[in-house]
Amino acid sequence: MTLEGFPQSLALRDGTLVTVRPLETADAKAVQAFYRSLPEEDRLYLKDDVTDAGWWQRFATLVASGEVVSLIGEREGKVVAEASLYRALRGWSTHVGELRISVARALRRDGLGTALARELVKIATRLGIDKIMIEVVENQAGARRMFRRLGFRQEAVLRGHVKDINGTKRNLVLASTDVSHIWDAMEALVADFSPSQE
Amino acid sequence: MQKSEIRVGGLGGQGVILCGMIIGKAASIFDGKHATLIQAFGPEARGSACSAQVTVADEAIGYPYVKNPDVLIVMSPDAYTQFAPQLSPGGMLLYESDLITLDETLPKGVRAFGVPATRFAEELGRRLVLNIVMTGFFAGVTGLLSFESVEKAVKSSVPKGTEDLNLRAFRKGYEYGREQAAVKN
Repeated sequence: MTLEGFPQSLALRDGTLVTVRPLETADAKAVQAFYRSLPEEDRLYLKDDVTDAGWWQRFATLVASGEVVSLIGEREGKVVAEASLYRALRGWSTHVGELRISVARALRRDGLGTALARELVKIATRLGIDKIMIEVVENQAGARRMFRRLGFRQEAVLRGHVKDINGTKRNLVLASTDVSHIWDAMEALVADFSPSQE
Repeated sequence: MQKSEIRVGGLGGQGVILCGMIIGKAASIFDGKHATLIQAFGPEARGSACSAQVTVADEAIGYPYVKNPDVLIVMSPDAYTQFAPQLSPGGMLLYESDLITLDETLPKGVRAFGVPATRFAEELGRRLVLNIVMTGFFAGVTGLLSFESVEKAVKSSVPKGTEDLNLRAFRKGYEYGREQAAVKN
């Protein structure tokens, strides 16, 4: 899938410039290095074990098939963020996408995660996705705040679903945003109703 | 005076009027020409016959009704059956090729160009944008209006948040139209 409008140069709140572009096969080492550089407690909040030797191959296969759309943020040649939109290409939830975003600690709270999430929401609407989900552990306050600002609302809480680094069970929050309303206006526009009949 | 009469026909819900409106807007606002638009609806708009008459000219237009169109854009078999016989001699038919089969009602000398607009729209992610694919196809085949003016008209006519997909639908139809025009010329 070709993504238009990239690469983008992004100025963060503190003035740091980050380049955002779609992930490429050649990014394997840089992305793995980025994930390995994350503190262990951060990696715990990732759904996949990104340090596993086979992870990249599985991930790259999903990207190639279109099941995952991935953007990376780069600064001075190093990957500093990775954001993915997961979607089912078949079955009963092809209208649903899931966002997963990871940002290097040094660049958090400067708007990079929000910018990546916004780009993926735009891409999701282009792909015809109606509903976008996120999964966050309940003590990820910053992430929950960011997604709330982007319009995500809590849908469910799975009790004791995640075990943290100390073995403590944490609740997993599922939140979503419905982006189908964007197309309601288009549907009304092409309805071809006579004004005199309304 | 250079004048082109265009009729767009299809079913309510296919975006027939929006297609006509974008063509008129591109001509009058972005291409410096004059344009008029007349809309006609069936008794129940959604799913019934619906058409738009657009006249584009380089001078003021005194009579906005289209009797014998120079260009006919059709998106449904009923619209083809109803409007194809009215095409002017040497006119141009642009039709949804997965939905419409040409027959003997098509006047001789008419140049016909088909596009699987519904399929293209579905491949792009939304069936809803089939009218925008048709609009792009119109621009690509006829060359009546500049690419830029129609693109601007599309962008300024669709709801916020839907611009990307609509513009991709427009470009898809435009490129296919350029290809078809090159093959037949």
